[in-house]
Amino acid sequence: MADRGPETIPAGPQPEGASIFYDGTSSRRHQVQLALKDGLEIIENGTTLATWPFADIRRADGVAGILRLSCVTAPSLARLEVRDSALGAVLISRCPHLNDNAVGRRGVATIVGWSVAATVSIVAVIWFGLPLAADRLAPLVPSALERRIGDAAEGQMGAMFGGKTCSSAVGSLAFNKLMKKISTAAGFDTPVRATVLNTPVPNAFALPGGKVYLFNGLLARANDPDEIAGVLAHELGHVSHRDNTRNMIYSGGTSFLIGLLFGDVTGSGALIFASRSLFTASYSREAEQNADNFSIEVMHQLGRPTKPMGDLIFRVTGNQGDNTLSILANHPLTEDRLKHLSDENRPASGPPLLSELEWTSLKAICKSGS
Amino acid sequence: MNEMSSVPHFPQQPPPLPASSVIADFSGDRGDFFRLVRNGTGLELITFGFYRFWLATDIRRYLWSHTSLDGDAPEYTGRGRELLIGFLFALAILLPIYLAYFLVGIEAERYKAFASFPLFLFFYLFGQFAIYRARRYRLTRTVWRGVRFWMDGSGWAYAMRAAGWTLLTGLTLGAVLPWREAALERYKMRHCYYGDLQGSFEGRGSELFQRGWKLWLAALSPVIVGLALFVMNAGHRLSTAQSRVFGLVILIWLIAMPFIYGYFKAIEWHWWISGIRFGEVSFESDLASNRLYGLYWKVIGWFLLVSVLFTAYIFACVGLIAGFGNAANIAARIQGNIGMTAAIFAGYLGLLLAMNIVLRIYLLRDVWARVAASATAFRLEAAANVAAKGELADALGEGFANGLDVVGF
Repeated sequence: MADRGPETIPAGPQPEGASIFYDGTSSRRHQVQLALKDGLEIIENGTTLATWPFADIRRADGVAGILRLSCVTAPSLARLEVRDSALGAVLISRCPHLNDNAVGRRGVATIVGWSVAATVSIVAVIWFGLPLAADRLAPLVPSALERRIGDAAEGQMGAMFGGKTCSSAVGSLAFNKLMKKISTAAGFDTPVRATVLNTPVPNAFALPGGKVYLFNGLLARANDPDEIAGVLAHELGHVSHRDNTRNMIYSGGTSFLIGLLFGDVTGSGALIFASRSLFTASYSREAEQNADNFSIEVMHQLGRPTKPMGDLIFRVTGNQGDNTLSILANHPLTEDRLKHLSDENRPASGPPLLSELEWTSLKAICKSGS
Repeated sequence: MNEMSSVPHFPQQPPPLPASSVIADFSGDRGDFFRLVRNGTGLELITFGFYRFWLATDIRRYLWSHTSLDGDAPEYTGRGRELLIGFLFALAILLPIYLAYFLVGIEAERYKAFASFPLFLFFYLFGQFAIYRARRYRLTRTVWRGVRFWMDGSGWAYAMRAAGWTLLTGLTLGAVLPWREAALERYKMRHCYYGDLQGSFEGRGSELFQRGWKLWLAALSPVIVGLALFVMNAGHRLSTAQSRVFGLVILIWLIAMPFIYGYFKAIEWHWWISGIRFGEVSFESDLASNRLYGLYWKVIGWFLLVSVLFTAYIFACVGLIAGFGNAANIAARIQGNIGMTAAIFAGYLGLLLAMNIVLRIYLLRDVWARVAASATAFRLEAAANVAAKGELADALGEGFANGLDVVGF
């Protein structure tokens, strides 16, 4: 199309309803003639309603077979519908930026590129940024708040495990003595609050705010006070490192950021759950290692061996050498921990933590009436 | 005969309606839609989900532009980028709310274990707000004949109404659901405009109840039979025969549920379209009640097929990685095997993506096509010269809906 002289393509006998114009200020249908001059002239009964520069014309979505156009310099909703395909083809060849609004292949590539970049940055924040943030923020959380969170968790636990605490008189005496010794060695000013809970589950944990729970199930499977002391010192390690608070900040942040990816902030859904557990597992593995180290230090301080604690964990969890996906394991591999604890083992240099009699009464702390 | 005839099923019948009726048409090719959704779902996978905003936009553009009224299709002018921004803003607002929710929850739990449960009410309100605002966004991105639709009113006022009605619906075991739908739709439609033409909704709860009460009873049949047996036995344990009867009722109910739901949805769509008004313009639907349940069965069929394929795939993976033979041996070898975990994850992703495509084709496109093609507009000339009006709304509501995982429109 070299000759760009003024030409009026459908010079008169334009098919009825061939072109329809909506001016964007009302829904009135204008039956129009089109003239292709310097720009696209839209004419109704001899009066020019609008002139659209070819470079400003864009394609809009429409029914198949009808070319629907808009113009960036006209009212944003003004639309021209060209129903004559020959005229449409001429117009398409004249408008250089017709498809600029469409997303197109390059647009999709841009979206993919930015999405991958965003994903990489989110993963980097989860991997490097969140642990750092949790470390820095956890000391700023007031201990009163931590204690409240702990109280809330205690309420739920009471509901879950029946809430039967064990407190036979002599048993409690022995338990408190043990806790006091460990707390002092661990550098706590006041003994850490601790309770034995009557449930057969072999477990022990620390609540936010620093309350330690020992389950009778674990006590029942322990052979001597050093085993239990190691576990309690491990839990004090969590208290001292404020691992609960750090973990809460970390897993809350992880849920939120992964929700950013998949579009569900509440963190439900199998996909979110799977990717989240991948991240949190490695995080809590580190916390467990640190708590183990803390326990080792405390036991050294007390002049007691560290290996018994490893023996107890091994007895409870069994051989997990190669049948857990190590990247998903919430706790460090028991064999690794066992090895670490026996490597650091030193022969007893201090007095026993509890006398035979005290140990027997501690083991019987959940027997009522004694 | 009067135009408020009690059987408005077939718009061809009542002669008093003006002759100017225009039948809506849906012309979208199913293959095109399949390709659109297949490619979009693939891109969703590559972009870790971020493409969902653009896919949603493309789907709407397809649906809008292939539905025509009087030869003109509406145009969807929304863009994926707007949805992304709306989502990011919604997240920024939701973050402190989640934190506050967490702290309030702690206080409530301290008072009594699991007492934080009622706080879900708050998120329900938020979800309803999101539904209202999401409709507002979609409406203001809808242009027909050079004039856009728009919406005012308050998302919170709507959310309060929705919560109140939902409470009532729960207390009455669903009996007031039709009145809930009617009241909420009246609120939404009277805040809808096409240019300067105000919308309204004339569907009545009683009409919907009349057409749907049998389905309601059918949906509640296990509860009814259970109660009846309980009363008959005066609280004693069920005899074997009675338990069998009860089991049979539940089995039949499970099989009947897709039919019940499909019939209900068809009746509801029919009722909804027939209630819509814009100024003088009114709509009618001739959607037959049995038009939709087949689609639900097809989705169930596809789900079973995909599940069977997934199971077969898992077995094949186990066979390839651990070999066949002693079950205990295999279990030991599979546990912790990274290859196996990756294979299961890939299979699960495939299952998820396949079901996404199936759901979008049957429950989005096909339902839309059947519902849209059932509509007829009357006195459309009343909208022939409507002045443009109304501002664009932001996509915050869509963002909340996405962030809170609520569906509705």
